[in-house]
Formats: sequence, structure tokens, C-alpha cells
Amino acid sequence: MTVLRRLLLVEWSGLALAIAVGVVVLALISPNFLTEFNLYVMLRSFCVGLLVGFAQMVTLGVGQMNIAVGAIGGLVAIAFGGIMEKLGVPIILAVPVALLIGAGGGLINGLLTVRTGINGFIITLATASAFTGINFGITQSIPFYKMPAPLVAFGERHIGIFPYLLVAPLIVAAVLSLFFARTVPGRQLLAFGGNAQAAELSGIARGKVVVLAHVLSGTLAAIAAVLAVAQLGSAQPTIGADWLLLSFAAPIIGGAALTGGYISVLGTMFAVVLIALIENGLVLAKVDPYWVQFLLGALILAAVGLNRWRAVTAGAG
Amino acid sequence: MTEEAIGDVSVQRRRATIGGGPAQLGLFVILIGFWIFFSSLAPGFLSSFNLFNLGREVARDIVIGFAQMVVLATGGMNLAVGSIGVCAVMTAGTLMQTFALPVPLALAGALLLGALLGWLNGFAIVRSGVNSFVITLASANLFSGAMLILTRAVPLNALPPEVGAFGRLKLAGSVSPLLVIALVIGAALFVLYRYSTLGRRILAAGANPRAAAMSGVPVNRVIVISHTLSGLLAAVAGMMVVARLGAAMPAVGGEEWLLPSFLGPVLGGTLLSGGAVSVIGTVLGAALVTTLRSGLLVLQIGSYWLQLFLGLILLLAVLIDRYRGLYAERMRVVRSS
Amino acid sequence: MTSVDAFMRAVAVRSFVCGFALTLGAGFAGASDNKIALIPGGPHPYFAPWEQAAADAKKAFGIAAVDFKVPTDSKLNLQTELIESLAAQGYKAFGIFPGDAVGINSTVTELKSNGIAAAALAGCTQDPTDVALCLGTDVYNSAYLGTKELIKAMGGKGNIVHLAGLLVDPNTTLRENAVQKAVDETKGAVKLIQTVADTDAQEAADQKINALLGSQKDQIDGMIATGYIPSVVASKSLRTLGDKRIKFVGIDDDKIVLDAIKDGFVAGTMAQNPYGQGYIGAYVLDLLASGTCTMKADAPWIKTPQTAHFIDSGTMVINQQNLTTYKDDLKKITADIQGKFKTTYMTCK
Repeated sequence: MTVLRRLLLVEWSGLALAIAVGVVVLALISPNFLTEFNLYVMLRSFCVGLLVGFAQMVTLGVGQMNIAVGAIGGLVAIAFGGIMEKLGVPIILAVPVALLIGAGGGLINGLLTVRTGINGFIITLATASAFTGINFGITQSIPFYKMPAPLVAFGERHIGIFPYLLVAPLIVAAVLSLFFARTVPGRQLLAFGGNAQAAELSGIARGKVVVLAHVLSGTLAAIAAVLAVAQLGSAQPTIGADWLLLSFAAPIIGGAALTGGYISVLGTMFAVVLIALIENGLVLAKVDPYWVQFLLGALILAAVGLNRWRAVTAGAG
Repeated sequence: MTEEAIGDVSVQRRRATIGGGPAQLGLFVILIGFWIFFSSLAPGFLSSFNLFNLGREVARDIVIGFAQMVVLATGGMNLAVGSIGVCAVMTAGTLMQTFALPVPLALAGALLLGALLGWLNGFAIVRSGVNSFVITLASANLFSGAMLILTRAVPLNALPPEVGAFGRLKLAGSVSPLLVIALVIGAALFVLYRYSTLGRRILAAGANPRAAAMSGVPVNRVIVISHTLSGLLAAVAGMMVVARLGAAMPAVGGEEWLLPSFLGPVLGGTLLSGGAVSVIGTVLGAALVTTLRSGLLVLQIGSYWLQLFLGLILLLAVLIDRYRGLYAERMRVVRSS
Repeated sequence: MTSVDAFMRAVAVRSFVCGFALTLGAGFAGASDNKIALIPGGPHPYFAPWEQAAADAKKAFGIAAVDFKVPTDSKLNLQTELIESLAAQGYKAFGIFPGDAVGINSTVTELKSNGIAAAALAGCTQDPTDVALCLGTDVYNSAYLGTKELIKAMGGKGNIVHLAGLLVDPNTTLRENAVQKAVDETKGAVKLIQTVADTDAQEAADQKINALLGSQKDQIDGMIATGYIPSVVASKSLRTLGDKRIKFVGIDDDKIVLDAIKDGFVAGTMAQNPYGQGYIGAYVLDLLASGTCTMKADAPWIKTPQTAHFIDSGTMVINQQNLTTYKDDLKKITADIQGKFKTTYMTCK
């Protein structure tokens, strides 16, 4: 098999190609694109997005959906900020608490879905409303502004072009890859997503798998929320409000099956990077604001078309 | 209508059932239950003013729900529902105001555009083989974007007065003609899916595309038809909004319609995986959520905490429905043994 | 449910930092039994002072109820649902921040046909409209003045970028025009090189503004933000960059913006008068609802691109000079407007 053929067979190579093309085009359009500061800004802009994509990716893996991913994010963000500002909890304690809250939210979602047998879509829709309600009830829409300096610094510092923030999604990506490829629970999750009946017949407990997926999803959303607070420098109740569409778009463009059973960590990452690149590029290219949305749609279509062409070529050749 | 345990690929689930089953009856009972609950705590809930406004809200949510439902039937999704809606709105407004066309002509133009945009989605999906989620995600941005470019986001608020007057029209003191239109559309869809060949084919294609293709169902054509219908319905919802507001604004529709478009159908029993729809369920599902929101407002739940109560009560409602269904199932087994 | 609601409201009122305690109440003729509602566009820190203003107006003017009711999300249909529900519950007058300048008009017309008064506060509805008045900041003028202030801070020449709000908001178009007008008046000395829209949501603003600074900070000499959130995000970004060369003028008085002005990263911000809008709004709505007064047709209205019935609630530039005193200045303006309101704008029995 030639190298090219092998490359074409890789799921996400179309996306990688689209990203490469995009980078070249933007570097040509804007002289400042390849400066250290701009590359740092770009890398920083998709840290939160990567985790949001992962959060939905794990639920898609079992054939579930988590509509509450943004709501959990918002609630964790203000809880995280609130306990630090109002209760003086140090960062080192606040972060695990935040993750626990996210996991707890996911646990509620998972248990409700499993115990009641009601479609996870509805359950997470209802809990999303509830979590958002708690969020706004506590904050009355006023953000927590006094975040500890080390946290804010973490959100801003960088080594060369690499922001400190990037560490989190990279570690998570590595862990998730290992989890789904090598560990028993991970593989059980995907097996169940692919064919629930066969999985159950071979002894995989539905309850365990679904709850695990939701807990993971909630925890990942919590990590995203913590990063968002660090990035923004304040705990905003509106964190997570825009996450839903991206959380689905990234894994699905990255190759995940909506029905479950197949996900791609790298694919999800490339999808997030591509979307961020397009959005940043539109600002860089000084696109007329009235054209921004149209071009966003056109570019998504182009990227997906490229990937599709790749799949067809690889299959047909 | 059988329950849908997640990931459960039982054959029963795949059977195409439409409306009138025990699940929809349960939803109806719950809806009435909440009406009784809210009106006993706050008599204002049943005032003709409140009922009228409720009716208008529900009408729009029902039609948006239908627009998504007809695509869910084929096993896909339409993320461009709101986008097509706002395009139809601005088209109608432009035709009425800028080109001074008579209102019925402008409406027809807008509906035609909606159908056309829906057709584009369907065509792109079957030709490219890319799944409907991604195609309609891209097209939602394309359509909204084109609308922004063409209209420069200028709202049109000098429409012929009949338009706003129709939105404010009251039949029998508390019923909006918009609600009547929504229910008539529902009846038509009910007939489509239960009694017509096309409807059966759509459901078959959604339930199991390969089997359907092998038994002669033109799966691709059916998908295109469903998306065209979806676009048309989204345009109808857009027209309702224009009547309600008496103006054509670029700020309506869009992403706002996404969640409500799924909520009605899914609550009502339409399967996200395709192959089974419930028209009556969609109507009841949309009505339930609007009722809950309206009821909580009437009860004067604190503004910021309202979302929490909405979520909890929604959960309660589906739990009651679920356990009622299980109980009925159990009783049936007991009785038959 | 209602006791939870009352408790929550009491907690919120008490925990309020901005304690303007105006004790006017000049010559009100006894308590009124009207229920007034102040309806913001959605949950947003800008409207926080309305809660205190409502409580103060209730006390000062003896109104039966002045309630601050927030739609659960910044969506027009949620706002109209809320208003309609409250109208069915007996509220006699509404002070509304229009969820959409055009879209809210049909609801206002319906209220009017039911004998319920409505006023647009903090933002105007687009004519033709049935609101009794619009008390707020002249959106166009504020953007115009802000841009002129920015140009002044830049020394009269350079390249500027406009950070704007939602493209589908009619106010955004007005602001774009105003910025362009101020730029045109410099006859080419200042150039508007880019407008970045849809920056009125936190995470989108963070991504777009940082992208802008990342790619073009050397080409930009000034930025004007005509939205609350881009103002906050830009202030923070300039501080992070350590940049004092790029001049920035924003809007509203969020703490982050004020601190940035103090430390020299931001040139100034356009203050609005949210407290005054709520306070005076409640006062006027009460008079309208009782039928005691009506608006004078020939009052000294200001004509804006949006409406012919505009009353300015006070707008000013906050910069390093008046950073500590601007709140008092606004208080004075509020007292002034409220004291003279009846005689200037209304015909009363």
C-alpha cells in the first residue's frame, strides 16, 4: 500500500489537510499570522473547545447525548469561582471540588437515564434547565470577579507559542485515547454504543456503561469550565451557554457516529482546531461582518466535502 | 407505543407507530393534570388573555416541532429549521414591504422559498452521502448568512396592517387562528403517516434504510421529500412569527428554534433514530413545555429560579408518564395471564 | 413557591453593593395601588441596579409594587411571554428594555389596547411604536460621542476598529452608522479598518477580540466598543497585553473597565444611567397607570434615528479625571430629571 493510500485511509486526514490549507492561506493573507503572539492566541482559543468536544464525544460513544454539557459547565464555573471568592477556598482544593460537581451532575444524568429508562435526550434537557436555573439563582447573573491571581496567570502565561492552558486538553486527549483503546471499561463503552444488544448478551452491564459515560462527560465539562474561568479571568454565569452546538459538531465532523460505537479523539481535536481556525481566520481576514456567517457555513461544507472526497477516493481506489 | 430503553435495538421499537397509543394518552392526562394544578393555584391561568397567548406560543412550537419531526422520521436531523424560518420571514417581509406584493402572494413566495431551501438540504444529503447533521449545520450558517448579506439585518416593520391584525385575531374570545392552523397541519401529517403510501415509505426508510431499499422504497427520494416538507413547515412557523410580531425581523428563528424543535417530538414519542413518529405526541409535547413555562410564570416563581423549577417539573412530568406506562404494561400482563 | 420568591428577592436586594439611596419623593400625593414591573432584556449585569431602583422608587413614591422581573434568557419570545403573563396577573404598567427594538412593538400595542401603559427604558423601540416614552441612552449619540472621545485620545489620527454587538440587533446598525459618522468627520485622518460584530457574548468576545489583537495589534491605534461585554473583554485583553499604546473607549461601568481606566490601559467609557432609568421609569409609569398624568405631545422630546419620543437619561464619558465622582454626577442627573419630569413632560390633573 502506498504511503498516500495509507494516509487517505486515515479518518481525519481530510481534516488535517483542510487545516494545513487554511494555515497557508491565512499566513499569506495576514503578515502577522505566523507571529509568536498570534500563534499563542490561536492555540489558546481552542483549549476550552477541545474539552467541550471531548465531553460530548464520550456520550456519543455509548449512543447517548448530553444536552446538559453547557449547563454543567456554567454551574461548575460559578461554583468554582464562588467558593474561591466568597469562601476563600484555595485553588488546590477548589479544582477537585469543581470536578466533583461536574462528575456529580453527570452521575445524576446517568442514573436518571438508566433507572427510569427515559431517553437521555429528555433527561439531560431537563437537568440542563435545572442546572442553569441553579446557576442563575445563585449568581443573579452577576459574575464572580475576584479570581485568585495564580489562576488568572495560568490562563494567560505561555512558553513561546504554547499557552499553559493547552496542557490540560493535551493530557486529557492522551488519557482518553488510552482509555478507549486499552482499558476494559473504555472498550466496553464503545462495544455497547456499537451494538447494545450484543454487548449486553456478552455481559456488559448497560447501567454501568451509561452511567460511566455520563460521569465522564460531566467531569470533562467541569475541566472545560475551570479552564474557561482561568481564560476569562472571572467566573461568568454565561460560561457554557454556547457550548451545545460545538460539542456535537466537533466529534461528528471528526468522524464519530451519532448512533454510537465509534469515536475519534484525534478527529475531534482536528475538528475543533479547524472550526477555531475558520473563526479566527474570519477576523484576521477582516471579513465584512455581514459575510461572516455565510463563509463559516461554506468553509465547514468545504472541509467536510474534502474529507468525504478523501473517504470516497480511499474506498474506490 | 413501546418504551425506548437506550441502546435497546429491540424489534418492537422499530415498528412504525403513530399517535394515539398509550404513551400519548399519558401525556394528555399529564397535560390536563398540570392545567388543573396551575389554574387552581392561580385562576388567571385560565383567563382568555392568558389562553390566547398560550395558544399562539404553542402554535409556533407545534409547527417547529413538526418541521423537525418529518426529518426525524427518516432517521436524520434538520439543524437548519431556525435558519430556514428566518429566511422565510425576511423573504415575506421584503416581498410585502419592498416590493409591495399583496400579502397572499408574499406568503406563497416565502413558503416556496422554505420548501426550496429544504429541498437543497435533502439534495445535498443524498448526493454527498454526508450525514444530515453536518449538512444542515453548514447550510444553517449558509442560509442565515445569505439572509444577513442580502438584508443587511434591517428589520421591516412597515408591513400591511392585515398581517399584525391576523396575529391579534381572537376566535371565540381566546383561540388564535394560528393554533387552528397548527392543528390542521397536524391532522394532515397524521393522515400522511398513517394512511398514505408515501408516509409508510418514509417511516420504512427511516426505520431500516437497507431493508426499505430492498423492498422497493425509493429511499433517496423519500429523504429529499422529507427535507422539503421540513423546510416548508419551518417557513409556516416563520409566517406565524411574522403575524405575531406584525414585522419581519432578522433576529427571529435561528439557533433559538433548535431545542424546541426537538423537544416537542421527542417528548411526544418520536424516535430520534427514525422510523416512528407521533403527530399527536408532538402536539402534546409542545403544549406541555409551554404550559409548564406559562404556569410557572403565573405562579410568580422568582425570575432567576424559574429555570430550575422548569427542569424539575419537566423531569417529574416525564417520570410520571414513564411509570404510568410501566404500570399499565404490568396491569396488561397481569390481566392477560 | 411565593415565599421562596420573596426570600430570594430579599436576599438579592440586601446583597446589593450599589446602594444609591435617593430619598426624593418630592410631593407625591399619597400611596398608589398600582403594580409596576420593570422588565430587562434578560439576565445581564447591566440591569442589576434596576432591582435597587425598583425598591427605592416603591418606597419613595408609595407605589404598591414595583417588581424587577427578569426573563429566563435574553430571548424576545421569553420576554413577551413574561410580560403577557404579568399583564394577566394585574400589573398596570411596564418599564421594558426592548428584547428587540422592532419585535416588542406588537406586545406593546396589545398592552395599550388593554389599557396598560408601557415605557421603553435603557433602550428604545423603533417608531411607529405605542410606548408612552423612551427613557434611556441615545444609542446613536453615545456611540458617536464615544468615537469622538477615542479620536481625541488618539490625537486625531490613526486606525480604529469597532467592536459591535449582535448583527441582527437594530441598535447595532445605528451604532455602526454613528461610528462611521465620527470617522468621516476627521476627513481621512482616522480610518475605520474593521468592524467585528457579534461580540456581545462572553466566550465569543474573548475569542474574537484576542484574535484581532493577536493578528493586528500593530496596525490598530484605537478601538471603540459599543457593547457591555466587548468593553469588559477588551479592557482585560489590553491589560494582559500590557498595552497602553492602543487607545480604547468602551461602554458601561463594569469594575474591570473602571480598573483598567485607573491603571491607564483604557482611555474612557460611556456611562449610562441604569439606576436612574429604573427609578425615574417607575415614577413615570406610576403616574401614567393611575391616569393622573399623560405625556405632553409638545414636550421637549429629542428626535433620534429610532424614535421621536426620546428622553435622555444622562450619558457621560468616564475617564481618569472623573473616575471617583461620576456616580455622584449621575445621581445629580437622576434627581434633576425626576424633579422636573412632571412639569416638563406631562400634563397632569
